[in-house]
Amino acid sequence: MAYEIVVLTNMAIAVLFALSLNVITGFCGQVSLGHAAFLGIGAYTSAMLSKSGVPIVITFAPAMGMAALIGLVVGVASLRVRHDFLAITTMGVVFLFTGIVRKQEILGGEIGISGIPAPDFGRVGLLATSLLCVLAYLLFTIWVRRSWAGFAFDSISEDEDTARLLGINVPKFKLFAFVVGTAGAGLAGALYAHQVRFIGPDSFGFVESISVLAMVIVGGIGSIWGVILAAAFLSALPQFFQVIDDYKLLVYGLLLFGAMRFAPEGIDGLLKKIFRRRAVK
Amino acid sequence: MTAKRLQIKNVSVKFGGLLALDDVSFEVDDNQLLGFIGPNGAGKTTLMRVIMGMVNPLSGTVSLNGRNITNLKSVQRIHAGVALGQQIVKPLRQMSLLDNVALASGGKKLLSPFRALMVQRRCDERELARKLLIQVGLGDHVEKLPSELPLGYLKRLEVARALALNPSLLLLDEPLAGLSKPEAEQMADLISNLPRVGLSVILIEHNLPQVQRICPTLYVQSNGRQLAFGVTNDVMADPAVRQAYLGVGV
Amino acid sequence: MLFFDLCIQGVIQGAIYALIALGLTLVYGLLRILHVAHAALFTLGGYIGVIVTNGSGSFLLALLTSMLIVGVVGMSSYTIIYKPLLNRTPLIALIASIGIFIASEELFRIFFGAYGLSYTNPPLQGQIEILSGVSLSHARILVVVLAIGLLSGVGWLAINTRVGIAARATVIDPEMAASSGINVEMIRFGSFFIGSAFAGAAGVMVSLLNNLVEPTMGAVPSYKALAIIVLGGLGSVRGALVASLALGIIESFGTIYVGHLLDRDSIAFAFLIMVLMVRPQGLLARG
Ligand SMILES: Nc1ncnc2c1ncn2[C@@H]1O[C@H](COP(=O)(O)OP(=O)(O)OP(=O)(O)O)[C@@H](O)[C@H]1O
Ligand SMILES: [Mg+2]
Repeated sequence: MAYEIVVLTNMAIAVLFALSLNVITGFCGQVSLGHAAFLGIGAYTSAMLSKSGVPIVITFAPAMGMAALIGLVVGVASLRVRHDFLAITTMGVVFLFTGIVRKQEILGGEIGISGIPAPDFGRVGLLATSLLCVLAYLLFTIWVRRSWAGFAFDSISEDEDTARLLGINVPKFKLFAFVVGTAGAGLAGALYAHQVRFIGPDSFGFVESISVLAMVIVGGIGSIWGVILAAAFLSALPQFFQVIDDYKLLVYGLLLFGAMRFAPEGIDGLLKKIFRRRAVK
Repeated sequence: MTAKRLQIKNVSVKFGGLLALDDVSFEVDDNQLLGFIGPNGAGKTTLMRVIMGMVNPLSGTVSLNGRNITNLKSVQRIHAGVALGQQIVKPLRQMSLLDNVALASGGKKLLSPFRALMVQRRCDERELARKLLIQVGLGDHVEKLPSELPLGYLKRLEVARALALNPSLLLLDEPLAGLSKPEAEQMADLISNLPRVGLSVILIEHNLPQVQRICPTLYVQSNGRQLAFGVTNDVMADPAVRQAYLGVGV
Repeated sequence: MLFFDLCIQGVIQGAIYALIALGLTLVYGLLRILHVAHAALFTLGGYIGVIVTNGSGSFLLALLTSMLIVGVVGMSSYTIIYKPLLNRTPLIALIASIGIFIASEELFRIFFGAYGLSYTNPPLQGQIEILSGVSLSHARILVVVLAIGLLSGVGWLAINTRVGIAARATVIDPEMAASSGINVEMIRFGSFFIGSAFAGAAGVMVSLLNNLVEPTMGAVPSYKALAIIVLGGLGSVRGALVASLALGIIESFGTIYVGHLLDRDSIAFAFLIMVLMVRPQGLLARG
């Protein structure tokens, strides 16, 4: 039972993390190759605080706040660059994050932080907390999507010059997406820190950033339900593949390629196609 | 003296070594439909982009309804009352015509994400959008995606979307280009029939017969300089205009 | 002589970056795609270099074989990965490319083992004293000579041959080139071949300098090379070359002077971000 709970908690955290990137990349169309940095900022903030005795749930707010604050700074910086320049800038952010953490003694340097206190509400409690966080964030993003903010995002993600000519204050909306998205990643990081109870710079690198982007894209850029499915599936994949552990990454890599090659619209696109075909029949 | 709808004073624009606008000044009155003609490369589009704040002029000022807007950003200018229908149509291809127009009529909600977050209702804007689309003759296609429609329709969408911004000054950059003769005629009628209460229009066009037909006043520019400005028939009779504009190309 | 040493190290590193970055820039110019899988070609080059040298005893043969095979594999990567995705948004191709890169790292590990391969008799280890007190191995000199030779060779072709001129036109504006009758498809194959072959050569040289090839040796250079082509202005070949050299030198000085604050990889990216904030279009814009 304990094992299943761990797997489920990991899935919930992955879903939250992917939903948070979906706000930036899916809704607002700003590709980020460095989202794991914000998972890391949340994780480190929360871990440091709870190690100094702050109750876990209380650490969530500063974890989100810290991630969002740095997210805002990165957002402001990325207003200057577009498209592929933006992608590589965000990639730089994650390398910068791990590079700085590695050299900070107080953050545990290369070794990282261990002995993060176990949640006093137990493993099941952590799972429940994670699910609640996912639910809250999910409802919030559904609200965003349906509101005029989502409407404006639709235009920005397609063509920001046109969006500007429709009277949309594009920079403000972009910053909003960055703040909401990075705060969500910070929350996921806080949960993650207490799930694994040991964090280091390598847990929040470029590969993790790519994995979460892959979840968003395999799910179908911008589609909330597709992204949830993809995140749950891709995060559990290593568990399914225990048997072929040696070939795990090979399968993962080929899966990414295959998904892009044969279903570039992602799970969302596939589902739509199936339902449309049914409807036609 | 009351403030003019639009007042442009001594605007110059340089692209690298090219002087695209050379000390241009002109004015648009309230409720006026002004034709704006000039050969290719005359700097017409550039001037519109200056008015919209998409190009920074080297010098000069732009005022709207007596307010100096030279230092405002595009978004602020749009909310101050200028709208542009672009020469190259730029519909949002992922949303229906109705949503294209409804989004543009979002007003202040588009200025701040927090304000936008507070509102889910779109019906008022959709209602207005539907009216505008009917007005430009797209009433039968409101739910369609832009990709399902030919260029002529997208040109009208561009006009409807600009109108949705509820401008006091509407800039239309070659809305008739690429349209068949009957389509162009229709579009010209549409433009000339816009209710011009509190709305002034600058119409850039190469289609001279239509411009002469619907615009009482004409502004002519060539090589970034003003050639003539006045009552359409007088301007068209001006030898300098005939030489520079009609002599070339037509 | 620390200053001089650091300069030399920077130039050597810059030469390697330049060999890798050329292919990435060409692919970006032609397809507007960030070709991450390029790094796998670099690694492949390293493996071929070690295996052929150990088998035949000839390093020159290894270098040439490696360039040829990697070049051909590179061309097929165009057909297999990118061609079917050309009319999708570039993000799709980027993820597909990352997928291939991850998978190929695993393939290297499965075929050649996780601990990598080394030269049984590392060639070109002799030292030359180029200044009193500063000596360099033949291998290190060869890196620079090879980079200068190959890159100026391509530069000469691009300026003086019809094909080269057509290729340059295509990199600058693919649509325009296609409409003026240039066989864009041929140019793409050619560019993939040359770019990949150069990455293969870089792989061989790095395997020689480290006397080691590992499955993951492509990762860091590939991220850096992405940074380099962005720094250079995306699609500008000259920009990429300038950026390669600049980054090589900045890294070698940076690790000494700010190494206590930032590790080597983040110095490169800190530099990248600083430059982009001042010049969002990169050091040398396209053209
Ligand atoms: N962004 C730019 N950078 C450099 N040059 C530009 C730019 N925009 C316009 N130009 C040049 O400025 C001059 C004026 O261009 P503009 O587009 O304003 O002309 P136009 O009168 O609208 O012409 P057309 O009738 O063909 O639309 C042209 O020579 C054009 O090449
Ligand atoms: Mg024009």
